Amino acid sequence: MSSMVIDRRSMLLGTLAFVGGAGFGPRFAVADDSVAYVTAARLADGSFGILLLSGEGAILREVPLSARGHDIAIHQPSGRVVVFARRPGAFAVSFELDKKTVPHVFTPGEGRHYFGHGSFSVDGRLLYASENDIATGMGVIGVYDVARSFKKIGEHSTFGMGPHEIMLLADGKTIAAGNGGLDTTPDAGRENLNVDSMQPSLTFVDAESGKLLAKHEMTGDLKSLSLRHVTQDAKGVVWFGGQWEGSPSQTPPQIVGSAGLDRPLRLLEPQGKGGDDLKGYIGAMAVSNDGRFIAASAPKAGHVLYVDTETATVVGRSNLKDVCGLAPEGQRDFAASSGFGVIRYETAQARTLSEHALQDIAFDNHLRRVG
Amino acid sequence: MVRRVMLLGFAAFAFAAQAVGADLPPAPISHAAMVQAAIAQYIVPHIDALKAAAKPLPGAVANVCKSGSAEAEKALEDHFAKVVIAYAGVDFLRFGPMLENGRREQISFWPDPRGFVARQLRLLLLSKDEAIAQPGAMAKQSAAIQGLPALEALMHDKDVPLGPADAAHYRCVVAEAIAVNIVRLTSEVANEWEKPDGWADKMLHPGPDNDTYKSESEAAVEVVKALIVGLSLTGDLQVKPHVDPKIRLTPPYEKSGLQQAFYEESITSLHQLYETLQLESWLPPDRFWMKDWVSGTWRTLESSDGAGGRSPHAKREDAPTPREVFDRANGLRNMVANRLSVSAKLTVGFNELDGD
Repeated sequence: MSSMVIDRRSMLLGTLAFVGGAGFGPRFAVADDSVAYVTAARLADGSFGILLLSGEGAILREVPLSARGHDIAIHQPSGRVVVFARRPGAFAVSFELDKKTVPHVFTPGEGRHYFGHGSFSVDGRLLYASENDIATGMGVIGVYDVARSFKKIGEHSTFGMGPHEIMLLADGKTIAAGNGGLDTTPDAGRENLNVDSMQPSLTFVDAESGKLLAKHEMTGDLKSLSLRHVTQDAKGVVWFGGQWEGSPSQTPPQIVGSAGLDRPLRLLEPQGKGGDDLKGYIGAMAVSNDGRFIAASAPKAGHVLYVDTETATVVGRSNLKDVCGLAPEGQRDFAASSGFGVIRYETAQARTLSEHALQDIAFDNHLRRVG
Repeated sequence: MVRRVMLLGFAAFAFAAQAVGADLPPAPISHAAMVQAAIAQYIVPHIDALKAAAKPLPGAVANVCKSGSAEAEKALEDHFAKVVIAYAGVDFLRFGPMLENGRREQISFWPDPRGFVARQLRLLLLSKDEAIAQPGAMAKQSAAIQGLPALEALMHDKDVPLGPADAAHYRCVVAEAIAVNIVRLTSEVANEWEKPDGWADKMLHPGPDNDTYKSESEAAVEVVKALIVGLSLTGDLQVKPHVDPKIRLTPPYEKSGLQQAFYEESITSLHQLYETLQLESWLPPDRFWMKDWVSGTWRTLESSDGAGGRSPHAKREDAPTPREVFDRANGLRNMVANRLSVSAKLTVGFNELDGD
């Protein structure tokens, strides 16, 4: 491990998170193997929580939180789930899908906060989380020992500033990190402090040693494209979605692209109106279960873009207001969730298969498939 | 100016048209009228006020550097305060011309928790490069030293005050360059809002060929989002540090003693924008209670000085605590985002606001 920064006090107390005692018991006590999706959400009473949903979009369980969650890491073989706080939150909540155990809250330690994303190791023994070294603004991959109540046992660099989504790739050895390039600190809320000098990049880091394996920097016309979300196709290519931080008068580039350890960075070829039609923001990425199609959601534009990775062409574009969460369904279909409580199943050709809506629920940015 | 009169006329016509049939319950304001009102009654006047406030700055800096007199210093402080207060009224208009080329950060680089302003200014002062006085040279510098916070730092440096002394020569060169740059930036923002085919026109003429706003609702959402952003910024950056002692964030324009005036102008401006948008006109009778809650919330926010004290213009007799002010600002933000905008058939998305 590269380094370790642990503060026991903050591990014990330094979190804003709680898991509601009274609310937790009866709602969580139902063991149910029909859970299909996990997502963070704003609930009907305005509070925040984690929702475990059936395939039909019904709420099977709620895990209340005191602040907004973001993405979810799931270790499928063990059924272990971790939900990360939304940036710049400093709590993560772990629980098991099929047990009645009380959720466990842990923190990134003194001088760190989460960026909302993480990934389990293949064997489920370790958890990797994207974090901010608040003092320097540099990105960190926190490494946690799952068996020791998520004790932080080390850190790697993301080799960039403001990482957002990190993902353990299919080789089980490499972590891809979308470095947004933006400097933030919790003291300044969610303000970006260096838009005029931001340096976004996509990096590949050895999960064990922390060594930098490859770095694709966004330069020239792309220097204002903050990389945020990543997914990987069947051939091992990493696809990313970005957020455009450039001037309104500039035509944004395509904000979806791909790269690999030994494969240069490529943006999607413009398909008609191009990146501008996505209003400069990709909120989530997902890959189909067969690995052929990727989906990218654009909540500001209210679109999901579907790309055939074989041809690197857009094969579908659907419309759903405030869509963001994406997860694979079946072999080649997807589920998409929205801030207006809608879960829709659709094909990569953007044909709607079915749709469910929950009253007064706002699904948060990410949706994860169980099983 | 002609353009501004035309915009005001346009809005007046829209309101007059709505007022026909005064005996009927007032119709909800249309999305188009909402945008027209926001531009004519709020955005353009505030952008113009910022431009006008900035105009005397270079002369005021030059006077201090020439004479070093107390009168000149006082005049500069007064002019500077007017620009800061005017800026507080547009800080949350974070779209269009204010975003172009990072103008917002260039005019007012705050918050600055990492001390970029001091660090970059120190580097520039060490360089003693007189070329900074050349037209356009300041615009190539870091955003941190192009605007008001850097000028404030020079104005309040007790070790080497601005004035005719040799030691202050280069500081005066830099201060004048910053002042000229602020005039340029604020003029550009005003021009890009108000010129033919500028941002006002873009918002007033949405449609399939408009590259930013496809519908009147999209343009209205932009303004409602600015209101939401303003409430978030005021709560999170100005009030929250007084609630959570762990937050280390210097208040805006504290060196000039303007932090409370900045808060008060932020709230007054947000309230004005809120009233201009008339979101409450969409409320059904069973939700009229929201009006009372909102009214009470504005009274609370306006009774505070943002730092635990009581505003000189307070309508409440007590001073609301920072916790109450923070919670109220948050509640109002949620009310606008989740209730009032929904009633007004404006979809301000939970995720689209997020940016993560």
